[in-house]
Amino acid sequence: METLSLLLDGFAGALTLQNLFWVVLGCFLGTAVGVMPGLGSSMAVALLLPVTFALDPTAAFIMFSGVYFGGLFGDSTMGILMNTPGQASAIASTFEGHKMALTGRAPQALATAAIGAFIGGFVASVVVVFFAPFLAEFSTQFGPAEFLALALFAFVATSSVVTDSAVKGLLSLALGLGIAVVGIDSVTGIPRFTMNSPYLFDGISLVTVTVAVLALGEVIYFATTARFQSQGRMLKAQGRPWLSRKELREATPAWLRGTAIGLPFGVVPAGGAEIPTFLAFGAERKLDRRRRDPQFGKGAIRGLAAPEAAGNATTGMAMGALLALGLPISATAAIMLAAFRQYGLQPGPLLFERAPDLVWALLASFFIAMIVLLIINLPFAMVWAKLLLIPRPYLYAGITVFCGLGIYATSGSTFDLLMLLGVGLVGFLMRMHDYSLAPLIIGMVLGPLAETSLRDALISADGDASVLVSGPIVVVLYGVLLIVLLLTLRSKVTSRTRRDV
Amino acid sequence: MTSQVTGPAPASAPPPQSEPPTTHRSLLAELTMPLVLAAFATYLLVGMLSMSVPESVDFPGPRFFPAVVTAVIYALVIVEVLSILRHRSAARAPEGHPTTSAGSSAPASPAVDDAAPSVDDPGYEFVGADEPATPRFSWRSFAWVVGGFLVFALLLEFLGWIIGAAVLFWCVARGFGSTRPLFSLVVGLTVSSLAYIAFDMALGLSLPSGLLGGGF
Repeated sequence: METLSLLLDGFAGALTLQNLFWVVLGCFLGTAVGVMPGLGSSMAVALLLPVTFALDPTAAFIMFSGVYFGGLFGDSTMGILMNTPGQASAIASTFEGHKMALTGRAPQALATAAIGAFIGGFVASVVVVFFAPFLAEFSTQFGPAEFLALALFAFVATSSVVTDSAVKGLLSLALGLGIAVVGIDSVTGIPRFTMNSPYLFDGISLVTVTVAVLALGEVIYFATTARFQSQGRMLKAQGRPWLSRKELREATPAWLRGTAIGLPFGVVPAGGAEIPTFLAFGAERKLDRRRRDPQFGKGAIRGLAAPEAAGNATTGMAMGALLALGLPISATAAIMLAAFRQYGLQPGPLLFERAPDLVWALLASFFIAMIVLLIINLPFAMVWAKLLLIPRPYLYAGITVFCGLGIYATSGSTFDLLMLLGVGLVGFLMRMHDYSLAPLIIGMVLGPLAETSLRDALISADGDASVLVSGPIVVVLYGVLLIVLLLTLRSKVTSRTRRDV
Repeated sequence: MTSQVTGPAPASAPPPQSEPPTTHRSLLAELTMPLVLAAFATYLLVGMLSMSVPESVDFPGPRFFPAVVTAVIYALVIVEVLSILRHRSAARAPEGHPTTSAGSSAPASPAVDDAAPSVDDPGYEFVGADEPATPRFSWRSFAWVVGGFLVFALLLEFLGWIIGAAVLFWCVARGFGSTRPLFSLVVGLTVSSLAYIAFDMALGLSLPSGLLGGGF
């Protein structure tokens, strides 16, 4: 009951006119970047990160969560209409979603996706509200060895599970870790890799790197290469944008199954919503094969409903894991973690004690965001599709200007702009050569935590390395990591065979 | 961090060694990322060697973690380079895929490109060797976007936000093949002015007023 009263307080905090404005703005922005192929919620959050320092933390995080969820609502729209998913989490929804649109059921497909995202996100938010405080309580027992295990877990999972090439993923991660060690050593105070330049004493700003890699590098990549690739044609969605009772009966179990599959992945740092969406799709497909009249391949509503619900369920839980453990499972969550630090807040057990107003207002705003997103997505998906009419040159020119704005506004120095360009070029090269960018961001955010945990653990045990693998929590964490790795290996093999069926 | 900033340079450097010219360019392009990463690891290595650490510091000192990272980067770079080479020698067998002109219908037509496309384009061909259409790489767009940003970064404090950002906007739009320079300029000035009003005046971030500020 205590949780409920805290949540009600949270609603009181979130329902002020000002905070409502930020929720709605975040939802609109998130949906917009989700809809447009090539832009994603991680780019939007990275671009917003510098400018939100002018806001108070609650407003900033409320907006961020709106963007994060909004991206997942919007990303399936273009997947369904054009067969080009807005971001990676919508790939699984695109298979059957686009087939539904091809058979003239585009509006129903859009509605299925929006409702699925709503159900997944809403259930996850409820679970987070009741689960996160316990998780935070539990994580007070964590010591350096546990935090190291958690960070290693995130490193291995994000760099090798999601990416196609484990070598490239790990290289990206190592680059992030390497960038993070530049600057004054937090344990001894010795400057490292600074070439005695005062610009580098504070290290390379995470804001600069995220904006460079996720936004500027993407702009260069798109300008030089991606814009020459042909785009699909957009289908028109006409007719009733709601679902018949038969369709609802068909989709409801899939929504619920998808949600159930997505939830646990929110606390597993396996790179966000991609894996659960594929698992949900695969599960529905298997169930479908057993039916008398298999629908998959002809635009099965279940094949769209399940991954959409799974994606948002994972995202909702991921926010819980971020708040309670300080554990980011995707690039977007990693940037939000960085944002917490910029405000001097450390997500994890202490956050619930030190900043209950912020936490509960944020949790309450999840529910508000879900409802706002359902309202702006369910009937208006076709309006969002009109965003594609923005001329590409101006869209990307605007993004570039925004990169410069954010970085100059936070640092006020030409050096940081040049650093932005330099790291942006590296990001562009990584994009060009199919290096995944999320491990770099996660490495940079969690690298310092991993390093200090490792050194604290070793120093307090007089260099005895066995302390790193003792204790029940650590053993369980490494065990789960092993299971996750094996599961991915399996799902990678099956996804390879799935194509040709 | 200079190693990172200057890292991409090898991509445009002239080929240093003697190898068949047709394959050399793309090999160099393929090795860009490993080269950048190796350069970064070397920067860390040099930094570690030149770092002065007092005797009193306990075992896992400030060098320990970077050393692990550096070793991992070197090892993985070697693995990656080997896999690239293996991939190439495997792909060499069915040679005759077209090296240029795959995407010549794109807006920035090769005729306008100031550099010879035959030198520029094949560089990144390998990226989608299995894809039906080989991706095209436009150095012209690259120059507009990167050059535009460089000018913006260096001249921002002199020009001021409104003019500087409009120049950046115009250059990037140009890089994306925008064909209406005057209209782009108007849009750019509008965007930069709106950003100035929203972020400098309303949200209180500080953007330089530069040239325009001095006049008033």
